[in-house]
Amino acid sequence: MTADHSHPPQLAERLLTHALGAAVYRDDIVGDLREAYRAVAGRRSVHYARWWYRAQALRLGARYAVHLRPHFERGHTMDRLAMDVRYALRSLAKRPLMTLTVVVTVALGIGANAAVFGMIDALVVRPYGFPDVDRAVLLAETSPKSGARRETVSPANFLDWRREAAGVIDHMAAMRWWDVNLVGRDQPERTLGFFVSPGFFTAVGVQAALGRGFVAADEIRGQDRVVVLSDGLWRRRFGGDPAIVGQSILVDGAPRLVVGIMPRGFGFPMTAEVWAPLSFDAAAPPTRTGRSMTVIGRLAPGRTLEEAQATMSVIGGRLARDYPVANRDRGVRVYTLGQGMTDAALVPIFSMWQAAAIFVLLIACANVANLLLARGAERGREIAIRLALGSSRGRVVRESLIESSVLATLSIPLSIVCAWVFLRVMRVFMPARIVRFIAGWEHMTVDGRLLAATLALGVFAAIVFGLLPALQFARGDVSGALKSDGRTGVGPGRQRTRRALVVAEIALALPLLVAATLSVQGVARSLIGWQGYDPDGVLAMKTVLPAGRYATPDTWRRFTQSAIEQLAAVPGVSGAAAANVLPSSDSNAGRTIEIAGQPQADASQRPAVDYRVVSANYFEVMRVPLLAGRGFSDADREGADAIGIVSASMAKKFWPHGDAVGGSVKVGNEWVRIVGTCADLVHDVFDAVNAPTLYRPFAQAPTSDVSFAVRTAIDPMTLAGDVRRAIDRVDAQQPTFDVMTMRQMLSDRTIGMQYVAGVMGLFGGLALVLALVGLYAVMSYLVAQRVREIGVRIALGATPADVTRLTIAQAARLTAIGLAIGFVVALALGRFIEAALLGTATADVKVPILLALTLAVTALASSYLPARRAAAVDPMVALRSD
Amino acid sequence: MTGSEIYLGELEQQLLLIVLRLGDGAYANPIRDMLESAAGRELARGALYTALERLEVKGCLRSILGDPLPERGGRPRRYFTVTPAGLRALRQSRRVWLGLWKGLESKLEPS
Repeated sequence: MTADHSHPPQLAERLLTHALGAAVYRDDIVGDLREAYRAVAGRRSVHYARWWYRAQALRLGARYAVHLRPHFERGHTMDRLAMDVRYALRSLAKRPLMTLTVVVTVALGIGANAAVFGMIDALVVRPYGFPDVDRAVLLAETSPKSGARRETVSPANFLDWRREAAGVIDHMAAMRWWDVNLVGRDQPERTLGFFVSPGFFTAVGVQAALGRGFVAADEIRGQDRVVVLSDGLWRRRFGGDPAIVGQSILVDGAPRLVVGIMPRGFGFPMTAEVWAPLSFDAAAPPTRTGRSMTVIGRLAPGRTLEEAQATMSVIGGRLARDYPVANRDRGVRVYTLGQGMTDAALVPIFSMWQAAAIFVLLIACANVANLLLARGAERGREIAIRLALGSSRGRVVRESLIESSVLATLSIPLSIVCAWVFLRVMRVFMPARIVRFIAGWEHMTVDGRLLAATLALGVFAAIVFGLLPALQFARGDVSGALKSDGRTGVGPGRQRTRRALVVAEIALALPLLVAATLSVQGVARSLIGWQGYDPDGVLAMKTVLPAGRYATPDTWRRFTQSAIEQLAAVPGVSGAAAANVLPSSDSNAGRTIEIAGQPQADASQRPAVDYRVVSANYFEVMRVPLLAGRGFSDADREGADAIGIVSASMAKKFWPHGDAVGGSVKVGNEWVRIVGTCADLVHDVFDAVNAPTLYRPFAQAPTSDVSFAVRTAIDPMTLAGDVRRAIDRVDAQQPTFDVMTMRQMLSDRTIGMQYVAGVMGLFGGLALVLALVGLYAVMSYLVAQRVREIGVRIALGATPADVTRLTIAQAARLTAIGLAIGFVVALALGRFIEAALLGTATADVKVPILLALTLAVTALASSYLPARRAAAVDPMVALRSD
Repeated sequence: MTGSEIYLGELEQQLLLIVLRLGDGAYANPIRDMLESAAGRELARGALYTALERLEVKGCLRSILGDPLPERGGRPRRYFTVTPAGLRALRQSRRVWLGLWKGLESKLEPS
């Protein structure tokens, strides 16, 4: 409210004055209303009067703006707009096919953009739906080496941060990954848990639905035997029984008291289902060099992210000075939780998608602009007459722009449907076991923000495809158009524009096709290409032996040996093997080594290789060929000679003279003699394909994480149940998880790439079709424009072949220019595409060249029909067609 | 006179009569108030201006602007007066109405 109540609401008065425009009574109307306002304010209250004034102003303004004015002065903005919109709708309805084509084309372009926007919004901008989530922050260590990467935090640093930042960042909490084995009323199960500090739930702003979260005392080693469960786990395993709060359950082989149940839908980070206190031993100081924890917190009331960053920079600086060994050059970065938890690899992928979607939209706009130009050409005479009769160019341009806006508006509902379908398909095809790693995947949907983005895109599209035809009208040559026969009412300028549009379409389509092809190639190579082992007919599964019941290496050895025997005995199984890590699994293991007889590197510079511990028959079961020496046998047991096998790439790297067999490497404190070499295989499609790998016999170096690979004679998945039961016979309390075929594992590992390839393939295909349609339309149009000229040529002796050649040559020129530009753009974007494809494909010159050739051939093919039509022109008809 | 005959609608007649009654003080606000109190007719502000403007265009009303007034934010009032043509049109209507009423008093007046 303004201080001076004698004035009516100023904005309303100003708007009213504006709406009255040049009305004869404008000033006295406004004055009358102001006078009446004072009377009303005196009779009732000022508050009432102000609303009364607004209502009156609205009614008056609306009346003058819409109804009244034309009676006295012609053509007020709003009224003319309504008229023009009606006119545009009527003229579009007269050409339903063109309208439909435009609407569908624009809808596809806008829909693609809206869908990608929806994904970015859900996954990158605000992946978490917690209350006040923008107050939650993530803190990461930085180091010059890691660049922009977010590093995990050492426990000692975390404790210092938490103490010193209190008041700026509250409820600071560390969290650490925890693979949980649950044993209870049901069969054993393995799920995802996190060890978290007491402030964790407050930091993310979510409290337990039942019972409590963690308190400070839970953090003390010895008092930390408590656990909080997710709603889903509680319902699944405990039937949603509220009495479970206060009871003990077995977690990882040890009892823990259930103190709370989280509300439905809460599973942070990643779909965690179990949370336990991250405790510290009061006696032993925590490590400052071992970095294992992710740290979150909540901005204290009234504090900003910038203040938090400034505070943490000071604290980080002090810690770097006080503990130079652990913290030299290390700093602290504060991110919002959404930013901090987002997978950095998503950003280049989404950028590529958004760029691709914009390319598609631009191509669609170019097509539509072309169609509208063609329409404008038909109306050239009409427009010329109107201009000659005194209609202003501004008005003609306005009409054209309004028509484009109406078209864009019509296509918006359809584009929302496109976006919805797109997002739906994305969600349906993502396996649940992967979704849990992608925060926000669940909220990928059409919401208000997406609708707003769609509207904005619609406006953008309308401007892009409406402006060119509108400007053409503005330049229309009146006398020329009137003198001509109507068909050439288009100046050469308009034809140049149309050709330029086709060139632009082809130039945009080529880089898009290059990116699409590279994506598809990358995924095909990693999915169905050479793997180095035989992934068909193999069933894989994992176990993690909990320290509670499996404390010593000897127990790991015994469990694994019995499990292999039980698995091999399952009917339909031809062989079973064990390994610490299977190819294509989402983890890896590595060791630094020393080579006997070669110069010793400094401890920090020692070479690292992938490290596999495998059962004796592993190479046989996985069908990895042995290239030299011997394989492992049951004789290579504990206490026997420590031996190993190296992969071909490792042999080549460290024994370039081919004398790997017989050589020795030092792993940890143990010298290992090399007895053989085996072929390379693809462990991780995103990493080096031929990673140097050292294999050790499981019996000599057992691990508590054991994966099994079972080669089957029949469809592997049909044996999933039998295989689980086989493990149960060894230890009924030991859960197995991720039971799936090797093929599925490969697919899971590359699911992101499959999505990239799918989306890019879709966008590339769309771009190709749109560009070809555009070329076809323009060639048809140019032929139609030149019917008379062609008729003259034929009359003067040109053969149909000459005419065909002439037309195709014209198309070829346009295509060639477009391809040349597109080629340069594709090469320029090559690095960007490579980054987005995470190294699965290299952008070399070959792919763009091949695609350019393909595009050239299809483009010429699409201009063949118009060329044929040109050749079939009957000169007599053509010349008479005036 | 036949050539310049002006037909008045009911609202137009009422407005002209009110302007006559208000004399020197006939501007939009009191016109609207009197229309409401005397004829029980609440007219939208916009419609009032439309009607007044139409009457002016027809030549029945003439308007002059008064002095700028502070309570109107420095804007003047527009005072209306009935023109001779407006008076003629009123008289004409009155004649027509009275002629039509004549002889029907017994039927239409409440007994």
